[in-house]
Amino acid sequence: MTEQVQRARPWSAEVIGALLVRTSARIGLAWIAVLVAAAVFAPWIANSHPLYLVVDEKVSFPAMRHLTAADYTWFAAFILAIFAWRLRGPVFLRFVGWFLSVAIAGLIAWVCVAPPTLVIHEQYRELEASGRIDFVLRAPIPYSAKDYLRDYGDTGIEAPLAASDGRVHWFGTEDNGADVASRMIHAARIALGIGFIATGIALIIGTLIGGLMGYFSGVVDMIGMRLVEIFEAIPTLFLLLTFVAFFGRSIYMMMIIIGITSWSGYARYVRAEFLRLRDQDFVQGAIASGLPLSSILFRHMLPNGVAPLLVAASFGVASAILAETTLSFLGLGLVDDPSWGQLLNQAVQSSTFNWWLAVFPGGAIFLTVFAYNLIGEALRDAVDPHTQRAAGGAAR
Amino acid sequence: MLTYLFRRMLLMVPTLFGITLVVFVVMAAAPGGISVQSLVDGSNLDAEARQALEDYYNRLYGLDQPAPVQYLRWLNNISPIGFEREADGTLGAFSLSKGPDLGVSFRYGRSVSDLLAERLPITLLLNLLSIPLIYAISIAIGVQAARSRGGRFDLASNVVLLGLWSVPTMLVGVLFIGFFASEQYWRWFPTGGLIRREAVDQTFLPWLASGMDVLWMLAIVALATTLLVWAAAAASLRMRRLGGAVLGGVLGYAMAAQLTGFAPGALHVVLTLTGAAVLGALAGIPGTGLRIALAGGLGLMLGIVVARAAGVQVVQTGYLFERAWHLVLPVVVLSYGSLAFLAKLTRASLLENLAADYARTARAKGVTEETVLWRHVFRNSLLPLITVSATLLPSLLAGSVIVESIFSIDGMGKLAVEAVQTRDRELVLSVTLISGLLTLAGYLLADIAYAIADPRVSYD
Repeated sequence: MTEQVQRARPWSAEVIGALLVRTSARIGLAWIAVLVAAAVFAPWIANSHPLYLVVDEKVSFPAMRHLTAADYTWFAAFILAIFAWRLRGPVFLRFVGWFLSVAIAGLIAWVCVAPPTLVIHEQYRELEASGRIDFVLRAPIPYSAKDYLRDYGDTGIEAPLAASDGRVHWFGTEDNGADVASRMIHAARIALGIGFIATGIALIIGTLIGGLMGYFSGVVDMIGMRLVEIFEAIPTLFLLLTFVAFFGRSIYMMMIIIGITSWSGYARYVRAEFLRLRDQDFVQGAIASGLPLSSILFRHMLPNGVAPLLVAASFGVASAILAETTLSFLGLGLVDDPSWGQLLNQAVQSSTFNWWLAVFPGGAIFLTVFAYNLIGEALRDAVDPHTQRAAGGAAR
Repeated sequence: MLTYLFRRMLLMVPTLFGITLVVFVVMAAAPGGISVQSLVDGSNLDAEARQALEDYYNRLYGLDQPAPVQYLRWLNNISPIGFEREADGTLGAFSLSKGPDLGVSFRYGRSVSDLLAERLPITLLLNLLSIPLIYAISIAIGVQAARSRGGRFDLASNVVLLGLWSVPTMLVGVLFIGFFASEQYWRWFPTGGLIRREAVDQTFLPWLASGMDVLWMLAIVALATTLLVWAAAAASLRMRRLGGAVLGGVLGYAMAAQLTGFAPGALHVVLTLTGAAVLGALAGIPGTGLRIALAGGLGLMLGIVVARAAGVQVVQTGYLFERAWHLVLPVVVLSYGSLAFLAKLTRASLLENLAADYARTARAKGVTEETVLWRHVFRNSLLPLITVSATLLPSLLAGSVIVESIFSIDGMGKLAVEAVQTRDRELVLSVTLISGLLTLAGYLLADIAYAIADPRVSYD
C-alpha cells in the first residue's frame, strides 16, 4: 500500500502552500499586504512634515524628527517580521520570538524616542509662503492625520478636489478639516492592530478555557459550558458598548475589551477537539508516562487541534475589525485618533450627505473584512482533508 | 419532551443570573462606576438640595451600599417573589406576590418596564419581519446554487454572497440614507423613524380620489405585474436577457433624469449601463421561482409608479403603505448579512446531502432528480439552518442597534446605546436581561424545531 514514502513536510508549509494556490486567498493576502504597507509607512506616505527640507541653507528631516514611539514600533515589527520569515525553525517558535522582540522594541522606543511635544503642522506651509525654503521634499499626501489646516481658516468638510486655494485632497476633508486620505492611511494601523491583538487575546482565553473543559470534562466542562453560554447569550455588541462606556476609550482598552468579549467561539472549538483527542492513544500514552499537564495540553494535544482554530481566527479578525468600526460609528470609539468607522459616521452626521466620507472609509472597511473572510474560506478548504480530496478528485 | 423542556427552562435561570452578573460586575468595577456623585454632578444645586437629592437616590437605588449588596437588592427587585421594599429603602417582609419590578431609569425618570414596553415591540417588529424574509430568500438562492453546482449562477452567487456578508451594516445604512433618502440625490424613501406624524391619523388603506382611479391603479399594476411575470416565466433566455437589459437601461436613464434632467450626460450613460447590466444578469438567473418573485416585485413597483405618473389621484397614502414604506430600508439593511450567510449554509448543506448514500440509492431506484431534491434531501438539509436560527436572533438584535441608530428608530437597540452612554444602571441591566432572555428563548425554540424536523433526535 505504501509504495512511496513521502518526505515529511511541516504541516504549516503544506497549509501555506495549499492556501497560496487559491486565487481568492491571494487577493485577500494582497489587500492585507497593502494595508500593512500603509500602516508601517504611514508617516512617509501622509505627513504634514516634509521628508527633506532645506531652509536658509540648513538641511533638516522634519518627518524623521517627528516620528513617535508607535511609528518606530511598527517599523521594527515590519523589519523583524521579514527576519522571522527568513529564519528556519518551527513556525510557532518564530512567531513567539517575533512577538517578544516586537514587545521589547516597543518598550525601547517608548523609553528612548522623544518627538517634540508641540506639533505645529502649519509652520512649513508658512515658511513656504514666506519664500525662505530653498528645497523641500514632501510626502505624497502632504497632510498629517491630525492636521486640521488651521492656517486656511475654518475649512470643515470639503468634497474631493474641491478646494480652490491650491490644496489637493484626493478623498476630500472631514468635519474638522483634516485630509480623509491621510486619516484613512493612519487608521489602517488601528484596524490591523485591533484585529490582530484582540483576536490573539480571544484565542488565548478561548484555548485555555476550552482546553481545560475538553481535557477534564465532567464538572469543569459543565461549569465552563455555562460560562460559554452566558457569553454567547449576551449580544456581543451590548457587552462591548457597556464595557466601552464604563471603561475608558484608549486603543489598548478596546483591544482587550474586544478580546474578552469574543472568546466563547474558540473555547467551543478547542473543547470539541480536545474531547475527541482525549481518548486517543498518543494522549493516553503521554498521561501514562507522567508528563506534566501543561505539556500534555499544549505540546501534545493543541498542535493536533489547531486547524479549526486557525480558520475561526481569520474570521475572528474580520469581526474584531467590524466591532471596532461599529463602536467608532456609534460614537464610542477613539476620540481624536483616526478610525474608519468614525469617518463613516461623519458621512450623515451633518445635515448633508457627504458621499466621500461614506464611500472611501466604508470601502476600506469592506475590503478588509472581505479579505479576511476570503482568507478564512480558503484556509478552511486548505486544512479540511475532506474538501481537499474532493478538489483533487474533481477534474479541473 | 415536556420534562426536557422543563429542565431546559430551569437551566436558563442560572445563565440569566450569569448574564446580569457579568454586566453588573463590568459596571461596578469601572473607575467612577455608578455613584450618587455621578448622578448628581452637573446639576446646579445648592448644598442642601444636593444632599436631599443624594439621599433620595441612595434610598431609591441603594447606591451607598457595597456592590454585592446592590446586586442582591436588584435581584430581589426583579424576582417575582421576594422581600417587599419599603418606602425608606429598607427591606420588608417576605412576600410571594410582590411581582417583578425593573426599577426606575436614572435618565428618563420613568419606570424601566414602561420604557421597554414602548421600545421592545418596535425592535421585535423589525426582527420578526426580517427572519421570514431571510429564510425565504436564502433558501431559494441556496437551492438554486446547489442545483447548478459549478455553474455560472453558483460561482457568481458565491462571490456576491461572500461580498454581501462582508459589507458592514453601517456602510449600507449610510449609503441607503445618503442616496435614496436625502434631498441631494433620490428622495424615494423617508430618512428615518417608523411613521410620519400626519400618517398616524390617515386611513388604514390608501385612499384614492375616485372609483375610476382605483380601477385604473389596479389595472395598471396588474398589467405590469402579469407582463413581467409572464416574461420571466415563459420567455427564452435570450429574450429575457434582452428584455431585462432594455428595461434596466430605461430605468437607469430615468434615475439619472430625475437628478439632472433629460439631457444625456455622463451620469445617464453610467446609470443606463449599470441598470442594463444588473437587470440583464438577474433576468438570466436559472431558477424560475426566483425570477418570478423578482419580476413580480419589480412589476408591482413599476405599476404604482406608472399609474401615479399617468395621473391617478392619491388623496392619502394611508397608514399601511406609510408604515411599509418606512420599513423597507431598515429591514433590507438588517437582513442582507444574515441572508448571505444562510444562503451559503443552505448550499453547503444541500450539496453534502445530495452526495449522501441515501440520495444515491434514491437515484438508483429511478427517482427523478427533482423528487430526490425536494422529497429526500431538502428536509435533511434544513437541520443546520435550524441550528443556526438560534444564533440568528442575537445577531439581529446586535444589528438592530446599528440600524436603529442610523434610521433614528426609537427601538430597544437605540435605547441600549443611550443607556450605556448615560450610565443608566437600571436600564442597562434590564436591556441586557431582556435581550438575554430573548436569546435563550431563541435557543429553546431552535431545539424544539430541531426535534420536530428530525425524528431521530430524542430528548430524555
